[in-house]
Amino acid sequence: MRSVGIWFVAVATAAAVGFLIVPSLILGAPLEPVMGVVQKIFYFHVPSATMLFLSTFVCAGGSIAFLFKGSEAGDRVAAAAGELAVLFGACTLVTGPLWGRKAWGVWWQWDARLTSALLLELIMIGYLLARRYGGPAGRKLSAALALFAAIDVPLVYKSVDIWRTVHPQTTVVPTLDPRMRPAFWSGFALILLVWALLFMLRLRLERARSDLAALRLDAEDLLETSS
Amino acid sequence: MKQKRRFARRWFLLIGALAWGAPALAVAQEFEKVSGAVREEIPARPLVAAAYGFIWIAILAYVVFVARGLGRVRQDLGDLRAKIDRAVTRVDDRAPRP
Repeated sequence: MRSVGIWFVAVATAAAVGFLIVPSLILGAPLEPVMGVVQKIFYFHVPSATMLFLSTFVCAGGSIAFLFKGSEAGDRVAAAAGELAVLFGACTLVTGPLWGRKAWGVWWQWDARLTSALLLELIMIGYLLARRYGGPAGRKLSAALALFAAIDVPLVYKSVDIWRTVHPQTTVVPTLDPRMRPAFWSGFALILLVWALLFMLRLRLERARSDLAALRLDAEDLLETSS
Repeated sequence: MKQKRRFARRWFLLIGALAWGAPALAVAQEFEKVSGAVREEIPARPLVAAAYGFIWIAILAYVVFVARGLGRVRQDLGDLRAKIDRAVTRVDDRAPRP
């Protein structure tokens, strides 16, 4: 039990409870008069996009610690958050067009919000590729990319207010119908818990890799001496 | 002069033909109401199901990916520790006994 971690168990339990409660709240939420059933994608689309932003900021924070203080822990945090940014970015970029197909009649529009969100996802994919295939300088190169990604986040968020787009504006959540709020916020909490679980799990993998690398270095001398 | 008249006559005929055909073209381009026409309806439920399905399958696939990676690294750690233990035993055996 100690190896699994008390926080991991607590978050997993809360997420399991959420899985039981949230679907009924979403099914019970009133239908949006113009879009109808398809608007229910909103309850997971918006939290997924928020997790994309959160992951990008965490990745940038870890990258700053690695770049300017040489923190290995910061690099591990950045690596874990970088993958989650790509995962939740994919969820956002897939659920959005599914919603748009019904609401706008098209799968995709090259408007400011959609294009900047796609750009953010591509930067984060670039982060992972630079990290994986960048060679000795890969970690520093990817850390610099994470900073650019973090700069893109406010641009993605405010794009709907700055430019004319087909995408709903940032005022949607604050002005949400009170009867839709329980479904939205419970869905948001569930996705946040799932994010925390995945982050802890991924961080554990990164720590284990780091332990393995350190042990390999220690073992090299010993194995040479014994043979 | 005769040539000029022929040229004017040709233009007159062409414009006349166009003027005669124009209402027909206009009628052809008008939208006609057809009773019982099929209206394109995009079904919403499969789109909602696909959206929710994608999110949970993607998360599940990621959990499997990370768990497999963790299992592999732990296996490597175990193997390396066993190797180190064997090496330490060998070094101890070679060391001169008092």
